[in-house]
Amino acid sequence: MKRLILVSALSILAFGVLASAADITWMSTQFTPIAEGEFVRNQILAPFAEETGISVDLLNVEYAEFASRIEAEYQAGAGEVAVLCGLHGDLAPFAYALADVSDITPGGTISPTLMSKGRMAGKQVYIPLMQATYLMVINKKALDYLPEGADIWALTYDDLLQWAKNIYEATGEQKLGIPAGPKSLLHRFIHGYLYPSFTGYQVLAFDSAAAVDMWNYMQELWQYVNPAAPTWDAMDTPLLSEEVWIAWDHTARVKEAIVQRPDDFIAIPSPAGPAGRGFISVLAGLAIPETSPNPEAAAKLIHYLTTPEVQVKILQGVGFFPAVAEAAGAVPAGALQILAKGVSAQAASPDAIVCFIPGGIPDEYKKIYKDTFYKFVIQGQPVDPEFLRTQATRLRQLYIEAGAPYPAPDGK
Amino acid sequence: MNERLRKLLGTDTLLPYWLLLPTLIFIGIFFLMPLFKAIGLAFHGDAGFTLDYFKKMVSDVRFFDALKFTFLYTITIVPLNVITALAMALVINTGFRGSRFLLYIYALPLGISDLAAGLIWLSIFTHRGFLNSALYSLGIIEHPIHYLSYQHINYTFLSVVAAEHWRATAIVLVNLVAGLQMISKDYLEAAEVLGARGWKKIWYVTLPLLKPSLQAALIIRTIFALQTFAVVLALAGQITPVLAGEAYFWQFLYRDSHIASAYAVLLMAISIAMTWVYLRYLRSRTEVIRG
Repeated sequence: MKRLILVSALSILAFGVLASAADITWMSTQFTPIAEGEFVRNQILAPFAEETGISVDLLNVEYAEFASRIEAEYQAGAGEVAVLCGLHGDLAPFAYALADVSDITPGGTISPTLMSKGRMAGKQVYIPLMQATYLMVINKKALDYLPEGADIWALTYDDLLQWAKNIYEATGEQKLGIPAGPKSLLHRFIHGYLYPSFTGYQVLAFDSAAAVDMWNYMQELWQYVNPAAPTWDAMDTPLLSEEVWIAWDHTARVKEAIVQRPDDFIAIPSPAGPAGRGFISVLAGLAIPETSPNPEAAAKLIHYLTTPEVQVKILQGVGFFPAVAEAAGAVPAGALQILAKGVSAQAASPDAIVCFIPGGIPDEYKKIYKDTFYKFVIQGQPVDPEFLRTQATRLRQLYIEAGAPYPAPDGK
Repeated sequence: MNERLRKLLGTDTLLPYWLLLPTLIFIGIFFLMPLFKAIGLAFHGDAGFTLDYFKKMVSDVRFFDALKFTFLYTITIVPLNVITALAMALVINTGFRGSRFLLYIYALPLGISDLAAGLIWLSIFTHRGFLNSALYSLGIIEHPIHYLSYQHINYTFLSVVAAEHWRATAIVLVNLVAGLQMISKDYLEAAEVLGARGWKKIWYVTLPLLKPSLQAALIIRTIFALQTFAVVLALAGQITPVLAGEAYFWQFLYRDSHIASAYAVLLMAISIAMTWVYLRYLRSRTEVIRG
């Protein structure tokens, strides 16, 4: 009995020592699914603790808690959180409360374009950690029908139309797939891909003449889109069943298809329109609050997380793509490498129009884009500039009422 | 002990209310409170009472489509449900060998959640589904047909009707079988003595006596049909919008509880109106039953 008490006393003591050894707190809006959190703790933070002796406590929070805690610690002038991880839109509103991280050396090369996203208020507010995006995945069988002169690594929307048309004329089937189901990410395709590619803006040119052309183009393209598209929420299943050969979707929503049949698919950049190659970059970064109790340890963690090896681990465990150039080459062959190649090709396109996801406004904006698509494309009603104007007013109203800035490329 | 309990609970006249109390509390917390909260959300904005949310709901691009399809589904599915269930119930009620077994088989869909039912039917109607495979292997079609697509909106509609019919007939059936079993054999024997046979017996004796059960079944089915959502979502996506689905999207996709509540209140108003119609026009006249 005595022995038991002794053992438990010792273990309590040991636990206390271990707990106090959690040197820094890393608050994050990312890695919130339990499996992802565990992966980061066991596969990424545990080796870091072994290497440097700094143990990191990963604190997963929702955005609301993230925001109120940064604000509270900043107001108090002292805090417990040493380092932060959030999407661009999570961090940007708190630029005033975040330290300049420009003297931290990342563990790999981060491209100037990517790095510049974290520059605001005259300082480097965060270091890019990882990115996700939406791109095209094609079945290699579609390559036989590629229009002459078209380059899959620099496709245009006109090429895409001709390509889908060629396939339809040869096979009698509509092999182009766009997810348009109720829970699909169709709104991302409209505001972050179509609109910027055709008009140069996500919001500001909603009812422009270029937008009318764009909707007319979509009506034409829709003839070659698989009619079951309005029931699809993700494109992995239709790609696997070969109901479609060319598909657009979020990397996470096409990954399963490539994992199952890596030899059959290629991931390529989204097409370019008259204004450029519009695409969304979901960028997550690392920042240090002004009130960080241990900025040195935080800097070490940031360096470690941006080394190519850790970046590849993040891709494997969490599905976010590397922000570091060296990491793209270090991804082992297979589905992830195929996707990573498409993601970097898209990010590096010379005609890129990088778009950020709107933030700070009610989610009703998604409905405005989707409803317009529903009316003009799915229902095929004639493109009515008057309707576009009404929707545009409503969309701008959302930004004005919320006092939110227009997302890139509209607002700089 | 008994005395003490009686003292504690008050007089015998109060006892029923004590016994009802737990249910009342339950209904109050889980039904009435959310109900009033929803009504509040639908009519109350930052600046007090407002009809803005209803205006916004009605001006929504999809509102009239949703209203149209909700009614179309309801007026197609409910009569189909009732007619099929009535036929099945009459057959089962004859008490032939194996009729109990048949009842269990018919009641099976009751045990399946509506979303699961939607997914089962999706695997039948989808582009590469069972129906297309079967028709193709029989040589009836050359290319798979897109039943669930905007181009074939009638097929999509019928697919939902088929799935809902399969799923919801059982609940009407169970109601009607219970109702039929309550009808005393005396009436039927009396009718036979007076010379009624076959259809006449059903039309003049069974159906009038079954009216209360029919009424209950109709009310339940109509309210549920107005709320149909999971099956439509699984099969038709956004091709045929319905009111309950729009409420769901406003709440969970566009995160505006006010407009979602406006849809819910509208659905409630329609349900109440339909229930009133049933109560008013299907009223069972007591003199008929008691003869």
